[in-house]
Amino acid sequence: MWENLSLKEVTECAKDPYPSIRRWKEQTKKAVIGSTIADVPEEVIYAFGFLPVALLGTSKPLKKAPSLLPDNACSLARSNLELALSYEGDLFDGFVLPQVCDTTQHLSDIWRINFPGRYVECFLAPRQVDRPSAKYWVKEETERMINSLHTRFGKTVSDDDLRKSFALHNENKELLKDIYEVKRKYPASITNKEFFSLIKLSMQVDKAEFNETLKKVKDGLVKTEVEGYIDVILAGITCDPPEIFDLLDEIKLNVVADTLVTGSRYLQGTIGNGMSPIDALTERHFKRGFYSPIHDNVYKGFNELKALCDKYKPRAVVYIHIEFCESEEYDLPDLKSMMRKEGIPMHVLSTEFQTLSLSHVRTRLQAFFESLTGGSL
Amino acid sequence: MSEKLSSKALSKKITDEYMDEAFRAHELGKLVGYTTAISPVELFVAHDIVPIYPENHAVANLTAKKGAEICSITENLGYTSHLCAYARTDLGYRESGKTITKGIPEPDIFLACNAQCFTLTKWFQVLARRGDLPVFVFDTPEYVMDKTARQEIVKYCVLQLKEVIAWLEQITKKKFNYDRLQEVLYYSAKSSILYKKFLDMAQYKPSPISIFDALIGMAIAVYRRGTPECVEYYQTLCDEIEEKVAKGIGVVQNEKYRLYWENLPVWFKFSDHAKLLASYGAVILTSLYVHAWSLDFDLTKDPLETLAQNYVDRFSNSTIEDRAAMAMDLFKRYDMNGMIMFMNRSCKAVSFAVPTLKDILVKKTGIPALVFESDMGDQRFYSETQIRTRIEAYFETLDQLHRKTA
Ligand code: SF4
Ligand code: SF4
Repeated sequence: MWENLSLKEVTECAKDPYPSIRRWKEQTKKAVIGSTIADVPEEVIYAFGFLPVALLGTSKPLKKAPSLLPDNACSLARSNLELALSYEGDLFDGFVLPQVCDTTQHLSDIWRINFPGRYVECFLAPRQVDRPSAKYWVKEETERMINSLHTRFGKTVSDDDLRKSFALHNENKELLKDIYEVKRKYPASITNKEFFSLIKLSMQVDKAEFNETLKKVKDGLVKTEVEGYIDVILAGITCDPPEIFDLLDEIKLNVVADTLVTGSRYLQGTIGNGMSPIDALTERHFKRGFYSPIHDNVYKGFNELKALCDKYKPRAVVYIHIEFCESEEYDLPDLKSMMRKEGIPMHVLSTEFQTLSLSHVRTRLQAFFESLTGGSL
Repeated sequence: MSEKLSSKALSKKITDEYMDEAFRAHELGKLVGYTTAISPVELFVAHDIVPIYPENHAVANLTAKKGAEICSITENLGYTSHLCAYARTDLGYRESGKTITKGIPEPDIFLACNAQCFTLTKWFQVLARRGDLPVFVFDTPEYVMDKTARQEIVKYCVLQLKEVIAWLEQITKKKFNYDRLQEVLYYSAKSSILYKKFLDMAQYKPSPISIFDALIGMAIAVYRRGTPECVEYYQTLCDEIEEKVAKGIGVVQNEKYRLYWENLPVWFKFSDHAKLLASYGAVILTSLYVHAWSLDFDLTKDPLETLAQNYVDRFSNSTIEDRAAMAMDLFKRYDMNGMIMFMNRSCKAVSFAVPTLKDILVKKTGIPALVFESDMGDQRFYSETQIRTRIEAYFETLDQLHRKTA
């Protein structure tokens, strides 16, 4: 179903992957497990023979979420809750929900209460990653998740199942990284929208099939030099609605690097060999980059962004702020001033998952880049 | 022999001495450690670190109606108005020096326990960057209902407490004294029992205390836990309230409604709310918030284990179902017949559970709930007439129900 998609089909499917997931489920009779973003080991879910699906909100109207979460809850949380309660809840055989911030902690409780009888488990990722105890805890939680899936679904998972799953997921990430590399140098080869749709869909569909699409996309990229693109770095957690990528494409901004959880941070999640699968999963947990709700060195977010800027020399950083994500809101003032000190222009775009009109975002983005380039784009 | 001090005078004395020590900490060869209201402060006390709670300082300013003014300063620095008003008050104070108190001493280190909330970890990170100072995040995963998982969570927390100790030893170059910790825990355990006894006096009819007394009486349990003076204070307080009970003195005359309050108080409306409710014969007795410091240390256990257990299972770190069970226990024991559910836009940690919690409690108790949205400290988000009207309407409903069942 997802093995032979054109780039156009990829972007369409990424916008609303659920109809195809429904068809896939009907055909394969396999279980579908949803999880909100933040480090749930999807490889484990896949190894059980289930489809792990990252939940990334909905653009459909909010109907039920507002009575359960106030309007200053982050837009991703509200949108995901709505997706599950009003639109796609029946598609899922269960959910494994990570907890990283106060919002996600409440969400997993709210989901459990609103889906009585359904499998709803939480993944209590450590919210610190700078001490040995965090390693101990990731291992414990990974084992607990495996036991929980086993108990609920009566299936077992062998080391071999896990290793096969790792290989498939690693392959997926390597393919995406290769495509990113080409995109960096040859921005006309693939649009921002297309590229980030490839990542999004990788987080939502069966990689055994989708990797085939990735291979074809990779082989089909046309590497011709085209003038007029401006290199930028995207920062934040996620970039939604996807129409933001259209805006970037429209004004010819080429994303050459990013710190998104739905971007490079996902690609950093390859799993090593040479140790037991659980140890390998544990090690992987600490290979990923900065994620604002998780405590680490207090300068980590800035240092990573600066290192990317040093490496890729972008014209500017575009920070995508999810409306009301307090984690980002505590980081942003310092991040802005540190970037200013480094002489790196940074533009913050605040977005909401339910945003329909992006005209104000377009105007602001255009004005920012006009001022940078000293003329019209 | 000097006359025994009243609880009020004792509280002032303890607070003055504490602040005096905090401001002179460096002179006394001690460090100032910022920490969160819910955190294993016993480790600080045992290691001679003076604990400071920027939240408490913020409360003083918010109660004095300085919220909007100081928070705006923070917003001008680029922080949004959606963040916790304690954090916004603190950051605004640091920027401008504005405060109604003498302020608080600058920190040397930070210990943030996220059993209370995740906000504090981010807020302390901001402060840490200002001075390039060490931060320790004591991570307490949500106390999920599965028994085996709970044991594992406690183990993870014990490991981290050992890391806190190693961290303190490394910073202070001083060996941690476990015997001293045992002693500190003894005082914490004793004062916690008395503090709980004080809160539970709200079971009497009429109730000799309201939540407003509980909130005032709570401060020492937060910042002087683990000291003999803390024990002395709660003993005095309990003695005073017992006297009131003996004389049948209640907070309101003709007590009719005994209310549960969900969430933190609206600090700047503190006395207004008490007066308004009293005019309906209503008294707010309690909340999970004031009970958060009813810790229960088992002194026969390994000190780190009982510490971990206590700090991980606070209401703010529990599942909504467990929170509902805790509230139900209070409803039964205090014989409450009304509830005010405050959706506090400042505190997501407590508020996001409120709609679900309300549904569960209303279903279980059969008592209607008054829900209102506002902010605990920022007056710009408080609508006087709207909230007053809702309170009035709520009591009309309760009155009608009362008449029907009478
Ligand atoms: S980290 Fe931010 S975006 Fe993610 S759930 Fe929490 S508040 Fe929302
Ligand atoms: S009011 Fe809430 S968000 Fe603010 S510090 Fe307290 S628990 Fe955290």
